[in-house]
Parts: sequence; structure tokens; C-alpha cells
Amino acid sequence: MSQTFLDSNELVLNMGPQHPSTHGVLRVILKLDGERVNGTECVIGYLHRGVEKIAENRTYQMFAPYVDRMDYVAAVSNGLGYVLAVERLISVEATPRAQAVRVILTELNRIASHLLWLGTHALDIGAITPLFYTLREREEVLKIFENYCGARLTTHAFRIGGLQYELYDGFEREVNAFCDWFIPKVDEYEELLTNNRIWRERLTGVGILNAADCKRYGVTGPVLRAAGVAWDLRKAQPYCGYQNYEFDIPTGSNADTFDRYVVRMEEMRQSVRIIRQAVGAIPAGPIMAKVSKVLKPPVGEAYVSIEAPKGELGYYIVSDGTLNPYRVRVRPPSLINLQALDQMVRGALVADVVAIIGTLDIVLGEIDR
Amino acid sequence: MAAEPWEDELTRALAQQFDNRIERFATYVGQNFLAADCAAVYDIVEALRDKWQFDYLVDLTAVDFPNRPKRFEVVYILYSYARNERIRLKCAVAEGERPRSVVALHATADWLEREVYDMFGIEFARHPDLRRLLLPEDWQGFPLRRDTNILAMDNQWVRENLGIESGQ
Amino acid sequence: MIALLKKVLLVDLLRGLWVTFRNQHPKHLYTEQYPLERPKVAERFRGAPRLNTNPDNGETLCISCDLCAKACPENLIVVTSVRNEQTKRKDLTTFTYDTSRCMFCGLCEDACPVDALELTQDFELASYTREGLIWDRQMLEEGPKPTRYTR
Ligand code: SF4
Ligand code: SF4
Repeated sequence: MSQTFLDSNELVLNMGPQHPSTHGVLRVILKLDGERVNGTECVIGYLHRGVEKIAENRTYQMFAPYVDRMDYVAAVSNGLGYVLAVERLISVEATPRAQAVRVILTELNRIASHLLWLGTHALDIGAITPLFYTLREREEVLKIFENYCGARLTTHAFRIGGLQYELYDGFEREVNAFCDWFIPKVDEYEELLTNNRIWRERLTGVGILNAADCKRYGVTGPVLRAAGVAWDLRKAQPYCGYQNYEFDIPTGSNADTFDRYVVRMEEMRQSVRIIRQAVGAIPAGPIMAKVSKVLKPPVGEAYVSIEAPKGELGYYIVSDGTLNPYRVRVRPPSLINLQALDQMVRGALVADVVAIIGTLDIVLGEIDR
Repeated sequence: MAAEPWEDELTRALAQQFDNRIERFATYVGQNFLAADCAAVYDIVEALRDKWQFDYLVDLTAVDFPNRPKRFEVVYILYSYARNERIRLKCAVAEGERPRSVVALHATADWLEREVYDMFGIEFARHPDLRRLLLPEDWQGFPLRRDTNILAMDNQWVRENLGIESGQ
Repeated sequence: MIALLKKVLLVDLLRGLWVTFRNQHPKHLYTEQYPLERPKVAERFRGAPRLNTNPDNGETLCISCDLCAKACPENLIVVTSVRNEQTKRKDLTTFTYDTSRCMFCGLCEDACPVDALELTQDFELASYTREGLIWDRQMLEEGPKPTRYTR
């Protein structure tokens, strides 16, 4: 920090790294003038595990479980991005059956991720009840994951070229039952929160990040959509068969925290819509495309990105024709979204910082990698 | 399968504007990229942003090739909302060379350039605040360089801190 | 006018409270009473590793091919074997599995050609020592013996 950081009547407040509302080990240095925030500085890296370096010492297949540990609340999305990137390098496409299952699991994971976000975000604002409900619903998603692949959080559900596990008996039934059961629950959250005056007061007009700023900072995901930009990679550059499903991109108009809440709630409903379409028409056939066990992609590189629950998640993989990737670069949405924090909190009150960090929906495992 | 040449309206215009400072336009597995001279990158990114609506810097990273004369390759991934198109811009950077920071064009680049500095030791000229991003400030070395050996790092740590030869 | 009335009568808060109230009924109980009641985990659960033996004669199924050790990203499986001159096969001597480093990704069990190594439904792997987390062949064949609590 440079010497000019402080004005004479300003105060420096350290928030984190052990603060419950920073959603992990994030340290935010706040420069305060009374209750007003005049500037921030984020200190990150507490969770750095060198995932990109680990990749250089693993084969392509071996690295797959590690990506689950970046954004651990959306491990399936992480896995999807990685396998798609490697599949692009070896010019293989997963079988239709595998693609449909991938879509279902990824969308379920989006719901799980948004549910955890909603619960913790509400908790930060002061509404304790939603957390219990969202965790209960999330549990049902995790049960489906557990039944399908044997793990709840770090699923390692997909393999390069397709899937490792065939669907279990009753998968469709369980997923359908979940969808039917879940939609009324979303309405219930809305009943709890949307018209609640405290919730509205705390969120409306807080942390505004308009579309131009979003683009300048490279912010993607629900934050961008709440600013009115209907941009979703699932529509813009469809992957994994998303072009076959009908769904809408919810957008906001005020670009504030409340709109981001509305966008995410609607996204959960849209995810259910996609799941319903996908689960009704899972094609028969093999689940694994022909992929050599000894995987040596030709020399070259590829960047593949997907719409993760938090924004654009990209993998840039460079292959040198050997068993191990030469370089794996992950473009984590949370890291880049967090950069806009400074812009969003300037002029806000200290209590709003908590709301704004919550609305960015960051996961530190992904930021620090 | 090798990279094929890439040619369209955009490449022709860019080639005309930057003539020999862009080394090649190519496409590989359906993804377009161009390789340029390191000194021209700032201008190219600016032209792409202002004239061609590549207004979103998706990612900025680097790759280390210790055997090349210019060992690093800095990669800019750009996207245009209006054109729904993604391109990559690559430039070779020698050890000690200082490419110009693009923070002035894309605010995203701030942390990304810091991360590249952190991991590879590439310094960006005119970056407002070039410090380590993820690693502690007193960290020695640049871990994502290919010659950084994590096993050796591990052994050194246990030797210094635990007084034993190897942690494995 | 209606808006004012709604505001004074705290309609929005009462509606929220009504949701909470609806969820009070005992049939909405969701908490698992672990460890008194052990949860039923999925059939495919990836938990404690087990080295399967032939149920008829108790011999191990493992053919010491070392594929699991090669597949493991964390390099935590060590298989040693001696060559049996009579059967011209390798006989397993030791098999160690370091559960403290395992991330239960399942790559080793996928790699095993004879289904000898398997990740089972046992999930209580805690140990009081670090050494206790490194499982040898005997432990792998018998499985962990967690304390059972009952009501
Ligand atoms: S589950 Fe994964 S980490 Fe654990 S031993 Fe098997 S391959 Fe290794
Ligand atoms: S892969 Fe199976 S058979 Fe081969 S050494 Fe491992 S446990 Fe034994």
C-alpha cells in the first residue's frame, strides 16, 4: 500500500481473512471515512494451491479431479469445462447420451450453487431462515450426485470423451421428482424475501455496476445479466448441446444487488426448465466416445469456456504432444468479478460491503486456485 | 493437424494497418489467433477494441517455452459482444523484456497482469501497481516457469524447516 | 392507501413468517441424527478403499498389475509383489494405501482390471494418528471398524 493511501481523517479497517461474510479467506482492506467506503484493496491468495502447476505434472485424465476443487460448490461445471477443453484439443465429441446427462448434471449443479449463494447471501443480510431451506433443497441435488457418481461435492462425474458411470435406475424419476418439488420452493423463497421490506431496503440501489463497467472489468455471469446484457455463453456460443434446449436468459435493468438476486432466482427456474427437457429425452447409446487411454493431444492449444454459475469459466490448454498438458490456464469467473468490487463499494456504507461481496457470489477456492 | 491460415475482413484490415508487425493469422481447432510483435500489442488491442468492438478482455496469461529465443508467450484472449467472436492474440516476450500494460484499455488486465508477473516474472511497463497477486510478497522465484521444480521446492522447505532430507 | 395499510400491518413480514410457520410441522424434519442414526449412503459411494478377496478361499483378487498405482494422481498406492515360479504369476506381498492423501476420485478403482480394489460405502476414516491413515493390506482387506453408536 502506498503512503498516499490514507487521508488524515480516514480509517483503515481490515475485513477478513477470517470474516464469515467474505465467503472464504478473503481479506479486504477498507479505507473508511466514517461509515463511507472510500476505497478497497483485496488481498487474495490464502488458498493458493498451484492448481495450474499441478496440471503440468499430471496426465490429462489425472488432472480432472483437481478442477473440482477450484469452485467446489459447482464442481460439475468445472469438470465440464475441463473435459470440453481437452475434447476440443483431441477433436472428439462426447456421445449424445453423454451430452444430455452432462447438461442435466451441470444444471442441477447450477441450482445447487445458486441455492448456496442465496442462503449465505441472505444470512449476510440478516435473514437466517432461508439458509436452512436452501441447504435442505441443495441436499436433494447432492443426493442425486451421490447416487450417480458416488460423491457429493467433488464429483469427478465426467471423463474425457464422455462419462464414466451409466445412469442408475430411477435417475429420471428422481430428477423429475426434484424438479416438481423444487419449483414451489423457489416461490417460497421469493415469498420470504422478495417483498420483505428489510431485504428490499438493503439491496435496492446497492452496489450498482452498469453494463459499460461490467464490460470494462470483464465481469460476466448473473452480474452482467442484471445490468441488462442478455449474454449467456449457453446461448451465445452453445456447447454440449445447449442449442437443443429452450430457455430464456433472465436480465435485470437496475444493475443493483436486488436485480442480481432476481436474475439468479429466475435462473434457477430456467435451469429446471432445461433439466425437464433434457431428462425427458435422454438418447440411448454409448456413454463414452472412442478415446485412447494413453491420451496425447496433438501439439496446439485451445481455449474453451462455459457458462458456470458464476460467469464465464475458461480453460486454456496448451499441448506439446506428450502425456501431460504443457500448460493449463484457468480463467476463473470469481477472480475477475471480484476485481469490480472496488468500483462497486466506493461510496457505499460498510454494511453494504457485506451485501456486495455476497452478491458477487465468489468462491475463494476458484480465485486463488 | 496443424494450424491453418485465417483470412477474412478483419485480418486484411489488421494486416494493412500493422503490416509486418503481425507475424501470422492462423486458426486451430476452429479458434482464430494472431501472433504479433510484442511492441505492437498495445496498439493492436486498442485498434481491436475501438474499431472492431473487441471490448471484453477475457483472459490474459502466459506460457513459458524455455528453449525458444524469446522464452515467454503472452496470450490475450479477446471477445466481442457485438460480433460474438473470440480471438487470441499472442506475442513472444524475452526474459527481461517489458511489454506495455493494457490496463489503460481494459481494467480487467490489472489483476491478470499481476498474476502473470507473480507466476512468470514478466514485468509490464506502465502497470499502475505491479505486485504479486496470489503469492506472498517475500516469495522467491516464479512458480509457473517450466524450470521451477515443485519437488525441489518441497525438499528445500522440509530441509530448512524440519531438518530432514526429503518430504516424500 | 392499500400500500400504506400493507406497510402498517406488516403484511410482507407476516407472509414470511407464515412460510416459516408452515415448515414447523414435524413431518418437515430433515436433520439426520448422526451418529445415532447412520445415514444410508449411495450404492456407488466412493469411500474407504477395500481390497477384495475371493469369498471361497480368502485369497486376494489382486493380480499385482500396478495399474491402480499408475492411475492415481496422488501416487499414494504402493504395490509390491514377488514372482511365483510355480504359477508364473506375481504374488502380492504388500499393498499400502495412504488415505490421508486420497481424494476419492475413483480413478484407481476404474483402472483395476479385476475389480480387486474398490471404494466402499464406509465413510468413517478418522484416525488419531497420521500413521493410522496409511492402510496396509490387512486393513484394506478387513475394512475400517468404526465405533457404532446406538440410541
Ligand atoms: S481414489 Fe483417486 S486419489 Fe485416491 S487412491 Fe484412488 S486414484 Fe488415488
Ligand atoms: S489395479 Fe487392481 S489388480 Fe492391479 S495392482 Fe491394483 S488392485 Fe491389484
